[in-house]
Amino acid sequence: MMQNRPLTPLLALVLAAALAVTLFPVFWVVMTSLKPPTDWNAAPAIWVPSEPTLANFRTLFDPSALEAYGLSGVSQPATPAILGSLLAAVLATLLSIAIGLASAIGLSRYAKLSKWTPLVILSGRMFPPAAIAVPFVIMFSAVNLIDSYAGLIAIYVAVTLPFSTWMLKSFVDDLPREIEQAAMLDGRSRLMAHLLVTIPLIKGGVFATTMFIFILNWSEFMFALVLSYTSVTTIPVQLAKYVTATAGTLYGVQAALAVLAMLPLILAGYAIQGHLARGMTFGAVKR
Amino acid sequence: MRKNRNQILDTVAKMDSGAMTRRSFIRKMGSLGVAAGVANAVALSPLGVRKAWAAISGPEERAWALAVEMAAKAEKKTLTLLIPTGSIGNMTPYADLWKTELGIELVFIEEPDEVVHTKGMQEAVAKTGNYDVMMPTAMSYPDWIDSGVIYDLTDWVEAHDPEIFNPDWGVVFPASHHAQLYNGRVAGLLNDGDQITLLCRKDHIENAGKAKAFADTFGYALGTPATWQEYRDIASFMHDPANGFYGSLEYRSRYYVKWMFMQRLISKGRLYFDQDMNPTFNSPEGLAALEDMLEMNQYLHPDAFSFTWSSNYNAFGRGEGFMNIAWPSGFKYAKAPSTGPATSGNIAATVMPADRLADGTLLHAGMFCWGYGYAVSKYSANPELAYAYAQWMTSPTISMDAIPYLGGYSDPYRVTHMKAPSQRMLDTYTQPYLDTLYDNIVNTVPDFCVPGGFEYQDALDKEIHACMTGEKDPQAALDDASRAFERITRRIGKDKVQQSWLALTRNLAEPIKKASGADTWL
Repeated sequence: MMQNRPLTPLLALVLAAALAVTLFPVFWVVMTSLKPPTDWNAAPAIWVPSEPTLANFRTLFDPSALEAYGLSGVSQPATPAILGSLLAAVLATLLSIAIGLASAIGLSRYAKLSKWTPLVILSGRMFPPAAIAVPFVIMFSAVNLIDSYAGLIAIYVAVTLPFSTWMLKSFVDDLPREIEQAAMLDGRSRLMAHLLVTIPLIKGGVFATTMFIFILNWSEFMFALVLSYTSVTTIPVQLAKYVTATAGTLYGVQAALAVLAMLPLILAGYAIQGHLARGMTFGAVKR
Repeated sequence: MRKNRNQILDTVAKMDSGAMTRRSFIRKMGSLGVAAGVANAVALSPLGVRKAWAAISGPEERAWALAVEMAAKAEKKTLTLLIPTGSIGNMTPYADLWKTELGIELVFIEEPDEVVHTKGMQEAVAKTGNYDVMMPTAMSYPDWIDSGVIYDLTDWVEAHDPEIFNPDWGVVFPASHHAQLYNGRVAGLLNDGDQITLLCRKDHIENAGKAKAFADTFGYALGTPATWQEYRDIASFMHDPANGFYGSLEYRSRYYVKWMFMQRLISKGRLYFDQDMNPTFNSPEGLAALEDMLEMNQYLHPDAFSFTWSSNYNAFGRGEGFMNIAWPSGFKYAKAPSTGPATSGNIAATVMPADRLADGTLLHAGMFCWGYGYAVSKYSANPELAYAYAQWMTSPTISMDAIPYLGGYSDPYRVTHMKAPSQRMLDTYTQPYLDTLYDNIVNTVPDFCVPGGFEYQDALDKEIHACMTGEKDPQAALDDASRAFERITRRIGKDKVQQSWLALTRNLAEPIKKASGADTWL
């Protein structure tokens, strides 16, 4: 078992610097979300608002909230975007993980892989999203999936499946197959052996992969922008819409929505942190 | 305006019957939202008050009649508008009227302004019919018409006459042509007079100490610059970085910087292409324009390389510079105490500086850049209703009412907006600034309103930016931009672009046509 290294002053300094760099954007976003409009663009920059306000957060749900500061032009609440992001990201992540897990076990345990298999599975990731967005628009419009959550979820699953498959496969590869064989000798079917033995044993990796896929779906912008009209909207698309003629970019409101957008990730990360340390190694330590 | 229709007609009838004095007529019309200039012109018209009013309010009346007819026939009782984010404030005040009187609900789909063109092109292939009215800039019309996503409006314009070419209350020439036509046919109805003008700090001009020091140094009186040479002189004189005050705030950032170059180029009497579609900026004039920009860099705000329009307006409003090259919205920002705490009441605006040509004449040229308009989707379920909305919103009367609303991008574009403004228009822009807008717009040259316009614009922007950041020397940047232009022209088809370009250049101010040689082109 690896022992913890003592925290030397130099190491502490390096860690503190790394932490400061990592957390500075978060600090800035949180502070901006609490600033009144006069402080958003102040020069010199105001680090901590002297008169913090929740007006930016209120604007997310009541577009007229900034009128108290003489700003108008926000026309839509962020509620549909928040709900839309939750719906699309959660369902797409669950589907991607479920299909990816089945593929990973199949590829690891049963498939005779050719040298081209990795290339084929990853081929969907070899094109920039901008290059495949318009073909998707044409195909989806033909089958009435434009401006629908079903369409958005389908494309999110298609885009993240290569990641989930390959990440999960590394965890399955890492697991001795003798354990599953022992379960089968005890009378379990193949399916039950994988459900009751394989998956529980790689749950750290499953959680880490789920988190990663959720972040990809949660922050996706291009497809949500291209495939949406009136019925579908997500947080990244909504963020781009906080521009008004009277105040330009509404940095405070954007920051408030960004803070809300961070919350599910922080909560989910906190809930599964025990599994993340193992999972984040991505099966780097092979048997 | 429509709500007051009966009251206005009563007032007009009273005036015609001699029951009102001219003064009380103008006062009454003013209280009903009619511009004082319009009311005065109507009262003095040799046609008689009723006929003159019918003429000026005609486009609104005809559009409304068409809307009533089409709304009654429409099975789909919504009208969906694709609009750039931030523009909604000019349209929402009328949504209730359309709902209550026509039963038509206006649905606004807001998209970031930089993706509106892409969304239109996307609709050309997706054909969803999700949009009825689309609000692009004039630069989108060629590609949108060619891709079949929007209607050619010419037949409807002839049938319902929005009077966009009327010399007294139409869209100011040449914007009436270059911001609405594609190959001589009407592609959209302009609703936003986007042009750049020069804003200066009046309080600094009126500072006696500075005025004397400037005159002593440069040998002429301090004021708003009339030429690019004066612009440089004044920027260098006012530049005081130690106190956070800079000579000018013009843009050096990607996406905006091309306009700074294009403006200087046209001031030197050059357009972007010659009549055979050869790029003309790769020339001594183009080189001089770039070198002028490089020389100006030392007098610019340090954020010039990262400015967006809103950060630029905010910096100017905070009092961080003497001059700014800005759209009309920039003036509104600088005028409002909330966004222009240092500039409110302290702005002197002027047309873009002129340049002296080889023959010694001064050429005044401006840039009509961006400029939104209404287009009608080919896949709309109610295209004539969509057209009626566009004509109604851009009619002389409704547009006069709509433009002053805050929370939208609409800026003055009809003659009456600038020459016979309503009180609300005056309160928003001031008469001196409206005069400046008029004096500038009559000499404007448009964006690349030709097929592939966005590609040309981006290719130029990329190279100008590379030059400004020191990545390329001026000649190399112009050579590369020129090659990129030739590639785009070849790919789109020279004949197609040329036809559009020549149609565009036929409708420019005469001094610009003469200086550029376009007056001799076929």
